[in-house]
Amino acid sequence: MENLKRLFDNNRKIVEEVTASDPEYFKRRAGKQEPHFMFIGCADSRVPLESLTGAAPGEMFVHRNIANQALNADLNVLSVLQFAVDVLDVKHVIVCGHYQCGGVKAAMGDQSYGLVDYWLAGVRDTVRRHDLELRVIASPEERFQRVVELNVLRQVYNLSRTPVVQSAWKRGRRPLLHGMVYDLQDGLLKPLALHVDGPEKVQELFEARRESIGD
Amino acid sequence: MTEAPRVVDRSVIAAVRKLPEAWSSWRTDLPASIVVFLVALPLCLGIALASGAPLFSGVISGVVGGLVVGALSGSQLMVSGPAAGLTAIVVSAIGALGSYEAFLAAVVVGGAIQLVLGGLRAGVLGYYFPSSVIKGMLAAIGLILILKQVPHAVGYDTDFEGDQSFIQANHENTFSALMHSLQSIQPGAIVISMVGLALLVTWDLTPLKRIRLLPAPLVVVLVGLLLNLVFKSTASSWTLESSHLVALPTPASLGEFAAFFSFPDWSALQRADTWRVAVTLGIVASLETLLSLEATDRLDPFKREAPPNRELFAQGVGNITAGLIGGLPVTGVIVRSAANVGAGARTKLSAILHGFLLAGAALSIPSLLNYIPLASLAAILLYTGYKLANPKLLVSMWRQGVTQALPFVITIVAILFTDLLVGIAIGLSVGLLFLLIEHSRQRCYEIVSPPGAVLKRVRLHEQVSFLSKASLAHLLNNLEPGSRVEIDGSRSAHIHQDILEFIGDFRQTALLKNIELRLVGIDLPPPGPTH
Ligand SMILES: [Zn+2]
Repeated sequence: MENLKRLFDNNRKIVEEVTASDPEYFKRRAGKQEPHFMFIGCADSRVPLESLTGAAPGEMFVHRNIANQALNADLNVLSVLQFAVDVLDVKHVIVCGHYQCGGVKAAMGDQSYGLVDYWLAGVRDTVRRHDLELRVIASPEERFQRVVELNVLRQVYNLSRTPVVQSAWKRGRRPLLHGMVYDLQDGLLKPLALHVDGPEKVQELFEARRESIGD
Repeated sequence: MTEAPRVVDRSVIAAVRKLPEAWSSWRTDLPASIVVFLVALPLCLGIALASGAPLFSGVISGVVGGLVVGALSGSQLMVSGPAAGLTAIVVSAIGALGSYEAFLAAVVVGGAIQLVLGGLRAGVLGYYFPSSVIKGMLAAIGLILILKQVPHAVGYDTDFEGDQSFIQANHENTFSALMHSLQSIQPGAIVISMVGLALLVTWDLTPLKRIRLLPAPLVVVLVGLLLNLVFKSTASSWTLESSHLVALPTPASLGEFAAFFSFPDWSALQRADTWRVAVTLGIVASLETLLSLEATDRLDPFKREAPPNRELFAQGVGNITAGLIGGLPVTGVIVRSAANVGAGARTKLSAILHGFLLAGAALSIPSLLNYIPLASLAAILLYTGYKLANPKLLVSMWRQGVTQALPFVITIVAILFTDLLVGIAIGLSVGLLFLLIEHSRQRCYEIVSPPGAVLKRVRLHEQVSFLSKASLAHLLNNLEPGSRVEIDGSRSAHIHQDILEFIGDFRQTALLKNIELRLVGIDLPPPGPTH
């Protein structure tokens, strides 16, 4: 109970501070949202999304799940994507993974964790498909990092295949898809694939390596 | 629409091939043709009289309209013959050309012009007559029939049969004639027309209506004829004299009969006037035909659509024939067509037979026909008029809203107070104006983004005409500064140049108002010179 109380206390304190310097701050934020970014990230509590990008309220439309996945059968992420693209007209859709991701780690091992195994089947599949590439990486730490990166790229590819993105691309070069990874150790974002804005770019980035990325 | 004939052979073959099929409906079409014939006879004579042409020329025209046009036409129910709508043109043309024979040369050329119009497929023009105007025309003709026939029904037969103009040939107008007629009522005529009307109204309620060979209008004529004979035999003051009866010229000998025909004076073709008359006839007769065709299609209980280009072809051949043997120009005519429909005709056999009957009767029993009282025919035409100007039609038009009702009413009023062609011209202008207004109100786009979306997505329709500029301008000019809009023309087959230029201009406005404009599938023309 003590921790929960702290949340409310902090909330009140922050509101007081903000309104003291800018009385209209929250009223302004309550208006129409026109975010430029949609963010698909991991549910991991160590990824302080807003503070690490400096995004203000109203600037980023967020969807988070375990291992930052954009599965083509997941109504949740597809709905968020459709709303972001068709209604909010976001310019950028970002998939952001992070090193030391518990979800990815679980997918790499043999142990069973119950329900979440189904959710992580996609990541497990990525690991299997890149078996050759991963096997030559000697360090387990580096191999783990590589799987995190491959998972992000896979999700960017998934996004590019959704009807929402496909039809938006047909009308113009929006949205731009980006894949990046967050390093918990140094707090920096590392770009993996930037400005994917059409089928040609997808071809260039992924389909050339179709065998390893898989479809 | 069936294919219009380009060569003579094909349509003649088609017409001949359809004849056996047509003969099978003789049980309905023969009685109907007798009714049409009886109605047509005084109309042919009246129109010839009003045209200042030899009386028999109207009958020749009626015969050609039935036999030649009827056989070639693609319409099942339209009747062709001399038209009241052309009388004014014919009178002044005969005056200008100096002789009836010179005028006949112009009729032949006019027919040839109709062939050309048919070849150019000008008949499609008929599809562009607004429905409200056609319905207005039918209602107006109905009202005219009633107003013009009341004098005939009471025995005031000073105007020619078939007059449709407000200012009549006898220098009265529709209403003054109506007033005068009430002061010179012939009791015999009233009895005959009232009995006739009573028969027409009640006939369908009696078992007698099952006798297909005996349509009510035919009974009306027979009863009228007999009544007058009874008056005469009792030497009653009710007896109708020959001025109130059909007055077909009765030749005493074959030689006299041959004199009824006249032939074109080809030397007239050397004069520009003849060609001017020919062009006027070709165009006006074609217009009147297309209007009648459209109107008859509407009256057709089987809702058949007649091919308009084939009709122009048939009318052209008809006018060439009429001109060659001394007939007045022919057009499709609505009153006779309406009487045809009303008498239960089903196929064009009825129109063709009415031509035979006109020819045969004129040859064999002219004196017998001259016993028919005009009052009997007035009863038939009054009833036809009532059917055309049915109050139910007025109510249904009114319910369709002002864009339908106003052209309808204006057409009626214009035709009533001028004549058919001038009235139609006024009605058409109003109808087209309303069509324009209606069209410019119609949106040329769909907003495909959900309400409240940051990006307003506007998808243009398949056809974006210049008429839809107003609706697009309304949309774009009401955009908030700072908003985003996407105009998607990728599904449009055709975007009018004016619209493209408008969008191009809006691109500048958008910059000023900080509106983000995205174009999809729209190739804007390069910016023109600044003006
Ligand atoms: Zn994670």
